[in-house]
Amino acid sequence: MIDHGATERRILKTELRWAVFVGFLVLMILGAIVYAGISMHINPPSNREFIDPKTLHLSGEFTEANLGTSVDTDGQVTTRVIATQFSFVPQCVVVPANRTVTLRFASPDVIHGILVSGTNVNTMVVPGYVSQVHTEFTRTGDLLMPCHEYCGFGHSQMLATVRVVPPEQFRPGPDGKVTCG
Amino acid sequence: MNVGDPIEQSALDRRWRLWASAAVGGILVVGAVIGMLVLPNFQRENAALDLWTAICRAVGITEGSPAYRQPITTAQALPVSQVAWDPDVLDILANANPQQGAQIAAQVCVACHGENGVSSVLEYPSLAGQSSAAIYKQLSDYRSGARVHELMTPYAAQLTVPQLASVSVYYGRFAQQATGLGGRDLPGDDYIVKLAREGDSARALPACDSCHVPGAGGPIETPVLTGQNLQYLAAQLRAYKTGDRQNDVYRRMRDISEKLTEQEIDGLARYYRGVLF
Amino acid sequence: MASIAANDALPVPAAAPAAGEGLRSRRLVLSHFWLAFAAFLIACVLGAWQMWARSPLDAPAHTASNYFRSVTLHGVAMAYVLSTFFIMGFGYFVAETALGRPLKWLKAGWWGFWIGVVGVLMAALAVISGKASVLYTFYPPMTATPWFYIGLVLVVVGSWIWCGVMIAEMSFWKRDNPGQAVPLAMFATVANAVMWLWTTVGVAAELLFQVIPASLGWTQMVDVGLSRTLFSWTLHAIVYFWLFPAYIAFYTMAPREAGGRLFSDTMGRLSFILFLLYSLPVGMHHLFMDPEHSSGFKFLQMVLTAFVSVPTLLTVFTIAASLEIAGRMRGGKGLFGWVAALPWKNPMTLATGLAFVMLFFGGGGGLINMSYGMNAMIHNTSWVTAHFHLIFGGTVVIMYFAIAYAIWPSLTGREFASLKRVRWQLWLWFIGMMVMTIPWHGLGLEGQWRRVAAFDYTDPIIATWGPWVIVSLIGGMILLVSAVLLIWNLLPAGLGRRTVQVYRYAEAVHPPGRVPAALNGFALWNVLVAVLMLAAYGWPIAQFFADPPPQAVIHHMDRGID
Repeated sequence: MIDHGATERRILKTELRWAVFVGFLVLMILGAIVYAGISMHINPPSNREFIDPKTLHLSGEFTEANLGTSVDTDGQVTTRVIATQFSFVPQCVVVPANRTVTLRFASPDVIHGILVSGTNVNTMVVPGYVSQVHTEFTRTGDLLMPCHEYCGFGHSQMLATVRVVPPEQFRPGPDGKVTCG
Repeated sequence: MNVGDPIEQSALDRRWRLWASAAVGGILVVGAVIGMLVLPNFQRENAALDLWTAICRAVGITEGSPAYRQPITTAQALPVSQVAWDPDVLDILANANPQQGAQIAAQVCVACHGENGVSSVLEYPSLAGQSSAAIYKQLSDYRSGARVHELMTPYAAQLTVPQLASVSVYYGRFAQQATGLGGRDLPGDDYIVKLAREGDSARALPACDSCHVPGAGGPIETPVLTGQNLQYLAAQLRAYKTGDRQNDVYRRMRDISEKLTEQEIDGLARYYRGVLF
Repeated sequence: MASIAANDALPVPAAAPAAGEGLRSRRLVLSHFWLAFAAFLIACVLGAWQMWARSPLDAPAHTASNYFRSVTLHGVAMAYVLSTFFIMGFGYFVAETALGRPLKWLKAGWWGFWIGVVGVLMAALAVISGKASVLYTFYPPMTATPWFYIGLVLVVVGSWIWCGVMIAEMSFWKRDNPGQAVPLAMFATVANAVMWLWTTVGVAAELLFQVIPASLGWTQMVDVGLSRTLFSWTLHAIVYFWLFPAYIAFYTMAPREAGGRLFSDTMGRLSFILFLLYSLPVGMHHLFMDPEHSSGFKFLQMVLTAFVSVPTLLTVFTIAASLEIAGRMRGGKGLFGWVAALPWKNPMTLATGLAFVMLFFGGGGGLINMSYGMNAMIHNTSWVTAHFHLIFGGTVVIMYFAIAYAIWPSLTGREFASLKRVRWQLWLWFIGMMVMTIPWHGLGLEGQWRRVAAFDYTDPIIATWGPWVIVSLIGGMILLVSAVLLIWNLLPAGLGRRTVQVYRYAEAVHPPGRVPAALNGFALWNVLVAVLMLAAYGWPIAQFFADPPPQAVIHHMDRGID
């Protein structure tokens, strides 16, 4: 007669060793993420800032004339972009290289999303909220900024340009604004 | 694990309950402490925040990131169009009186826009086939001055908002019967048909049809173009292109028209009119 | 490590669970499978065309409205029809064969099937007519015709009936066999049914309270953040719902088909329980890039997401050990000699091997998706498409094929005419999936975004993607060939001589006698799921009511064909 208990115990012990290894692996991965969060301030875009999509164009920050890149009174570079069916306003934004830029997006209609090719800039643009990404562009040149969430039949043509310029070429006008034109 | 004895069995079950709950609870607590206390505490220095604010931001009670300053907003820009599709406006349209609208239409509108909303004066738009939201948007813009026309501006200024809504609803209701043209009937050369129906990715030009067809899911105020008067359409595209007309919310039509050539404007206007000449 | 068990003399097997003469649910199971595979074939044709449309080559009928209609139909057919009906059909088969007694609630099963069929037809017609080009995700303000949503609700109702039948059959069996361990295949199937009931709560709430009233025109505004959150509740666990049959095959079919035994029955039970626990409170990892949730709750759900990798890693080990037993029993020697000794001509063994390779790549990609910092690099790019095609389209669907091949003789009473053609089909599916998804991973890292009908290949950045998209298109075509082969194999034309077979599941090295209540039922685990869901989703959902965000106007997308 075979000792069933002994076989079972041996199997469970083997499995337990593997489970400990798996637990260790999971903790390593989580540790790396926590380390990145602490040392590089990495957070996903989680602003939870409300804005009414229905009256977005009527007053305040996301009115037409206030869009694009501007250097605020405290020297912070902020770029405000509207994602709407089926274009970005403005269609081209200028940002300086090697300097923290705050990108702010809002949608007056449906859900959109953006990414900037070759960078870690990525956020959903959900009607009702300001989506905010803090980043630093390191390479100069024109980058693609497509809409990456299906927003209707014109979705595939919804593209904008992010123009990253060297810091010395980034010269705000008297109103603090910088445009592509 | 050959445990037959009921007492032994229930002791074993209790152990399972205890350890499973402890494991699940432990993971929850560790996750919450790191995500909601530890991370914001280490990140807040970058934004010069106190611990309480950083935690509030991390759990979403206060807006902003625990790691960055919120930008200051000092915007004081004026809007181009005052129309917003909030519940109040939708209610006004929903409760508008089409009979009143019919009276106003008979007194004022028919002279230029035709008996059934089909205009025979080619510079003026046909209203047939438009949604009440589309008509309301333009009437309101005339009334507020966001759009200007020597005849429409004074007419719209004389009417109250409920009156505008009633006219819009009147045309919006009966207009559906008035249009005979469908998208399939439209002729045109291949290039223009492609532009109208598929757009041009290389110029980031969305297809006209991705908004200007009923039920396409575009902006609420989008007018239908099918069967619209040729001269009117071409003139509006040119007005957007030059910036003479600016009541399109968020430059949607200005940005598109700027990219169109003169030939494309004429071709698209012909296409939607349904003629080939 | 595993060899210790193999070198021991194996315990005497308990009486194998056997089915009676002829399955009572035979027609029910076959009806489910054929509906699933019919939808699958159509979806494969559409998928291959979509790759063509996105490539620099000229595809026929390539318009935006056709493209999004096609994507919607492809998603609905693969994610809702193939998966749901396959799982239901397989569940009825398991209930009858693993419990070794005829299905008591067969009639309810037929009700579930026909309700589901009506739902599928409603949704399919809505999409084909062009009135529901909203993709298979429910993200208002864009809203399709109500027929689309009501049809899909009916599919879910049909699946709820299935859940009821599965839970009832298990409790009847437990009542009749007090103190006995529920056979692992049935235990896992019921785990899936219980998980599915939890899973559908989110999407059902979204559809019934937000989307359907909006599509009917009863409401004009919608809280977009809330609807995304409710959908995310369902969005991850649904993938595990699809995945369960593959894991059931790994644990209860592959070891015997390879000529060995299951290394540990207890580990199987634990893995399925861990899936039930950790596939639900993690859906917010689909919303990492969303503005409506705080980083704190995203972090919490990321930690829970990390633990969902545990049951998969346990499974890989246990199944590898089981296959090692098989390989050594077949005379394999040395560290890796047992791999060569495995019966690779057996479709289930072959599919398991290929599934593990795809799981390795797909799972590795998943770890990157899960990291909430790295997610920004790949969110809504082709990387994500590649990931879920490898995991669902690859690992899971190839096991669906293997399951169908394994149980087809006992369902139809005929053997396959050519096992070689069966193996070809599996190999082609594997090769096609790898050829299609490896370029997608690369393109995703370069920023190629998802869900577009056409790319502008005159752009210098996009132009460099062209050749890789064509490679993916070739992969898609290989997959299409494989799909056609599958149907050929399963149709009477692909079957050979008559046979009488009763399907037998794998036995464990140590067959379970009595097991603790925690490993033989779900009472404890349901309580813990409730605790986890309350912690992970309680405030994130409550915040929409405590501090309501501004709502958005509904955009109706119910345009017909123009």
